[in-house]
Amino acid sequence: MSTLLKAVNLTKRFPGVIANEDVNFELKPGEVHCLFGENGAGKSTLSSCLFGFYQPEGGHIEFNGKPVAFRSPRDAIHIGIGMVHQHFVLVSEFTVLENIVVGTHEAGWKLQMQEARARVEELCREYEIDLDIDANVRDLAVGQQQWVEMLKALYLDARVLILDEPTAVLTPEESRKLFRIIDHMCELGLSILLISHKMVEVMRSDRVTVLRKGKVVGTVKPSDVTPDELTRMMVGRDVDLRVARDRSDDRDRTEPPVLIVENLVYRDGRGKLALDDVSLAIRKGEILGLAGVSGNGQKELFESLSGVLIPDSGSIILGGEQIKGLPSRHYMDRGVGLVPDDRFREGLIPEFNIRENMILGWQRHDDYTKGPFLDHKQIGTIADGLIDEFQITTPSGLTPVNHLSGGNAQKVILAREFVHSRKLLLANQPTRGLDLGVIEYVYKQIIVKRDEGYAVLLASEELEDLLNLSDRIAVISSGRITGVVDPQSTTIEEIGLLMAGGQQGVAA
Amino acid sequence: MTSINEPAENLFPEPVPKWRIERRVNPKRSWTFAMYALATLFGLFLSALLLLTSGADVFKAYSALLKGAFGSEKALYATMAKATPLILTGLATVVAFRAQVWSIGQEGQVYAGAMGAYLGCLVFIGLPAWLYVCLIILSGMIGGALLGTTAAILKDRFDVNEIISTVMMNYLIVFLLSYLIGGGPWTEVSTTVVYQQTGPIPAASELPYLLGSTKLHLGFILALTAALVCYVLLEKTPLGYEIRAMGFNPIALAYRGTNIGRTIIIVMAVSGAIAGLAGVSEIFGTAHRLRADTLYGLGYTGIIIGMIGGLRPLGTVVAGIVFGGLASGGLYMKLLAQVPDALVPAMQGILLLAFLCAGVAARYKLVRTEKDV
Repeated sequence: MSTLLKAVNLTKRFPGVIANEDVNFELKPGEVHCLFGENGAGKSTLSSCLFGFYQPEGGHIEFNGKPVAFRSPRDAIHIGIGMVHQHFVLVSEFTVLENIVVGTHEAGWKLQMQEARARVEELCREYEIDLDIDANVRDLAVGQQQWVEMLKALYLDARVLILDEPTAVLTPEESRKLFRIIDHMCELGLSILLISHKMVEVMRSDRVTVLRKGKVVGTVKPSDVTPDELTRMMVGRDVDLRVARDRSDDRDRTEPPVLIVENLVYRDGRGKLALDDVSLAIRKGEILGLAGVSGNGQKELFESLSGVLIPDSGSIILGGEQIKGLPSRHYMDRGVGLVPDDRFREGLIPEFNIRENMILGWQRHDDYTKGPFLDHKQIGTIADGLIDEFQITTPSGLTPVNHLSGGNAQKVILAREFVHSRKLLLANQPTRGLDLGVIEYVYKQIIVKRDEGYAVLLASEELEDLLNLSDRIAVISSGRITGVVDPQSTTIEEIGLLMAGGQQGVAA
Repeated sequence: MTSINEPAENLFPEPVPKWRIERRVNPKRSWTFAMYALATLFGLFLSALLLLTSGADVFKAYSALLKGAFGSEKALYATMAKATPLILTGLATVVAFRAQVWSIGQEGQVYAGAMGAYLGCLVFIGLPAWLYVCLIILSGMIGGALLGTTAAILKDRFDVNEIISTVMMNYLIVFLLSYLIGGGPWTEVSTTVVYQQTGPIPAASELPYLLGSTKLHLGFILALTAALVCYVLLEKTPLGYEIRAMGFNPIALAYRGTNIGRTIIIVMAVSGAIAGLAGVSEIFGTAHRLRADTLYGLGYTGIIIGMIGGLRPLGTVVAGIVFGGLASGGLYMKLLAQVPDALVPAMQGILLLAFLCAGVAARYKLVRTEKDV
């Protein structure tokens, strides 16, 4: 079989990181090829290079045997490559047809709607996509919106379709339908590049290329390997999971847990069950790790536990007190600190300076006010102390945080939340996008808090880190806790299976 | 399957844009100042073109404008009196817009303030003079605040867009006033002809004149005080912190325990009270009877003033005085240089556009696109 799209020794660097190194990859006509790997393994970088979003620094891309150099996605689309992003780019007030036609080159000044309609209807028939093309996009289910995205690419004569984690936002039923369409597309000669870290999807592709730390580990046929072997390829064979733990084991097992969460259920605005009967308990001086592919309910769980979101049912008991349904202010007053995963959006006021951000949420606290006024002098003293303590690199406390690096901005949040919380620390992806030095620092600080007796909930996509830090690890998948495991005795394979929704849940 | 025959370089006919717009990391004060100075000159230049097309002598017109606005002590007092309600409605805009609450309700709140104060002047009649005036001012502020709060509650409870609700309430309140003074209970009764106005207010309720002038009244002091209060509120208090934070990132503010709905209600109450004060000052300092035409447009102009003032209290005072000068000098210009009436608001509009452009120019820059970024 010939090769349609090929990456040859592709290398892409970002400041300080090599995102792709000597990546070789082949996509054959009519195959479903899965890119498999952990977050940060380089899947998105590779697909972005293939779609012309990034320009590689080394190596090159071949299409139909000819070298090509994409300057922008426009070039890639021109040649016949389409991409469906995880977040759809649709105008919700427009109809399906209008969404497909809008922005196409041949549109010109006057839309040729009749021709377009005929073509889109033809495409729907050809690929067996059952869709009312005159419906408004906002009235469609999420799965159907994804079909519109796919039709958009097909309308532009795509022969290669890149799907970025297509099932991340879908219900199981919608996923099944999607894969029926994908299979049919391949029969008709289209090539699909599927980015995924769900085992089920990987196992039903024609071939899998596993990426780890920017390099290709290998390309295999799923029929030749077991899921366990694939997981090991993804995570790395020679990982030392048993790094010496320096934990205080004098925790009082008889004392009731600081936080008890029972049967939490939350349905999001789209009607998706984001939290499905979640129960957890965290003790004093304990780190509960939360493993899972992002978007599986972690965000909703953290928001529920910090009072930002009120779950539909279930209970949240902090220090023996039922606090579900109270506003976030009450959670803060009872000693809950939150490190949100989207730090600039949820954790900081980017235009405010460091000092102001250090008191976010505590601006009415006695420590920072003098009568009815903010005590700027006192705020400055305390904040500048924290800047030193947390080694935040900045010209001064008056620097706006949007001028800080991600790591320093994260330290501002850590400093604020550590200083103001007393009992429970919620950290959702606290190390995402940070460099190693800062990651180490963040973890050290979390351990310090654990040793001070805090209960800690730590979510991370870095399994190794969770295994090193956690006392127990809960695994979340599609809003359900699929298992709680002991990091001393579990394996990455076991966690990987639980993350993919496996049923080997270990009761805890 | 089609094959591609052209060599790789010719595959892509679309050019990549050469320039893009980038935010300045740390805009220099001098640069910002230069941009605004340039904007002023540019605005005056465009206005001059407009004056030319209307057949007026540009030099004569501008010197009349300047003389009428700031040329004498009397002119200065008139300018300050004209500026008073504009500063207040400008400040009302500052408080709301800094929180990114897009209230267009200053206009209606001016009316509500004037009506509240007039009600106060009927109710509290007979009290000692200083108390009487204080209570009138207070009831005016309450009137404006009530109208503002209504929009905020609609937004908080029912997610009603504040732009729509405030604009609609502007209409409602004007018609309510029309009814009250055009045949309703507040209509002037002594004359045989019905004007759209109340009778004169009691002398004791008038805002006293300042510096022996016959134009400048206590309202100007109230406006300056309001500017100071706004500054302190925004920069020095926890509430101001919340207002500013809400304007930049309401999500993070809500994540960290501040009730956004409650903050919106407070913002609209404060903004409404300040706008209401403009109504009090205009009726009890200048017109001395309640009538609709003297209040018309003060709120809408306030939005312009607040924007030109960079949504800062001090800037708003300056912008208010400039616009007050345009209003009082415009009269002079019209008389001395035969400039049509409509040109003064047109000049205000041109200046606003120029200042808005300057705001963008001060914050962004054009950068040449580098290859392979």
